[in-house]
Amino acid sequence: MEPDSEKNKLSQTKKYFISRRIDEFFIDIHNVSKFIVRFFKEAFLPPYEFQEIIKQCYEVGYKSLFLISLTGFITGIVFTKQSRPSLSTFGASSWLPSLISIAIIRALAPLVTALIAAGKVGSNMGAELGSMKVTEQIDAMEVSATNPFKFLVVTRVIAITCMLPILVMYTGFIGMIGSYLNVHHNELTSYRAFFKSAFGTISFLDIFSSVIKSVVFGFTIGIAGCYQGYYAQGGTQGVGRAANKAVVIAMFMVFIEEMIIVQFVNAIR
Amino acid sequence: MKTIKTNHPVTVGIFVFLGLVILVIAVFTLGNQKKTFVKAFAVNAVFNDVGGLQEGNNVWFSGVKVGIVKKVSFYANFQVLVTMNIEKTAAAHIHKDAKAKIGSDGLIGNKIVIIYGGSVATAPVAKDDFLTVEKALSTEDMLVTLQANNKNLLEITNSFKSITKKIDSGSGAIATLLNDASLSNKLKVTMNNLQATTANFEAASLNSRNVISSLQTFTAKLNTPGSLSNELVSDTTVFNNLRSTAIKLKESADTAFQFLDNLKTVSENLNRKDNAVGVILNDTAVASSLKNTIKTLELSSQKLNEDLEAAQHNFLLKGYFKKAGKR
Repeated sequence: MEPDSEKNKLSQTKKYFISRRIDEFFIDIHNVSKFIVRFFKEAFLPPYEFQEIIKQCYEVGYKSLFLISLTGFITGIVFTKQSRPSLSTFGASSWLPSLISIAIIRALAPLVTALIAAGKVGSNMGAELGSMKVTEQIDAMEVSATNPFKFLVVTRVIAITCMLPILVMYTGFIGMIGSYLNVHHNELTSYRAFFKSAFGTISFLDIFSSVIKSVVFGFTIGIAGCYQGYYAQGGTQGVGRAANKAVVIAMFMVFIEEMIIVQFVNAIR
Repeated sequence: MKTIKTNHPVTVGIFVFLGLVILVIAVFTLGNQKKTFVKAFAVNAVFNDVGGLQEGNNVWFSGVKVGIVKKVSFYANFQVLVTMNIEKTAAAHIHKDAKAKIGSDGLIGNKIVIIYGGSVATAPVAKDDFLTVEKALSTEDMLVTLQANNKNLLEITNSFKSITKKIDSGSGAIATLLNDASLSNKLKVTMNNLQATTANFEAASLNSRNVISSLQTFTAKLNTPGSLSNELVSDTTVFNNLRSTAIKLKESADTAFQFLDNLKTVSENLNRKDNAVGVILNDTAVASSLKNTIKTLELSSQKLNEDLEAAQHNFLLKGYFKKAGKR
């Protein structure tokens, strides 16, 4: 049964548990949970759509590389430029590499990558699946004995979950390069001294928490985009709504997850 | 045979591979920096206060990172046991009598363990050894000293304030100096005198420099081989002669002294009246008597001369004198 049929049933009876909006919110949570459970079921059960996964990896990962690299580079430069005055005030501009490495590896790289991916990939998934849904292509696939969930949803979610950590690596590296260029330009710090100072303050936990975060963010973006697109309705307007909601929900969830993961990591640290 | 329809798998493969390479490089760089893959062994130190030292903080020896803090745990009642992982390569330079203290990386940086000292005579540190601990100057200690300094500064400024008040109110020597024009003129004159004195001193020092220079020249001449002065100073034969001469001089002086002593005794005796010469010299009565005697003697000798003259013309003795005149 589709989520909207449950909502319709709810509006027909007009008996709300709390209020219509709040009840709908909890129904959405229930539906998303069922969607995630279905994803895991379909992901582990054969047949596996490897070729489609690779294609989606290309679309999600490789095609986002330029945008994400550029964003990472600019982030590195801008963050270094903005941090310098504060540190220079008390003569600690030599701490810039340490500060930047902590900021980029712990927070900025996963967060910026996730936000860019949510904007680019999440909206793309919502729009693509939404248009397939409203044009009944998904129904047609079901009729032709192809599992649309496995082919469309599972492949995309796996692709973005796997590709986002890789994109985070690139963002972190390019962001550090951007930061190095700015520090070198202003303080004439050598490449070796910069990276020695940068890696002096971060730990393995920072790198692994960053990887774990990016996996969670990727999964969230994939699920949000696919869920909104897979259950889109209402013609072309519905497609737009699905794409928009996919981005908004994915971004919002990324921030919520960031906060929760930081709490966990700080508890371990 | 399988054929690749598109380039997607290759592109994605390269993309993923490069991403993983970045991850691996980061992990290895970090591992290298944190000495994770370096052979190390544990060394302990027991502190009373670690001041916020944490696991993973650096351990320095002579300013070089030689390991990390592995574990921080309580020891006995209130002490803290710090277990450090020290690199095996650095262990050869750290001796058993080396000391450990808690420091910080910069003024407000992370806490670190600083190992220092140790004598070469002692064996290098070994696994599970305990290092001697020395209490380091903490930030709180520095703040306490700074607070004491602040109090002193406050006292100084208060004193200065009261001094300036006194000066401002016109009491005291400095106020007089500042306000009295004649005094300042006198001071100016004094300063001029002082300047002149200094100039004189300078001239004197110049003269003394010249004197020293002359002395140097003189001593240089003294040191010139073959010169009299040099031989006097350096020739042992001359010196021995001089010494024997001096001894003889001393003997002569002694003799002269004895002679003078005798002369003194004689003169003393002359001053006394218990001897003939003394009586003659000192007794006026005897002197006048002697004078009279001499006068009488003189008269007598005159008369005797006359008598003898008369005798020469006597016929009895005339023949004798004629013969004596012919001889």
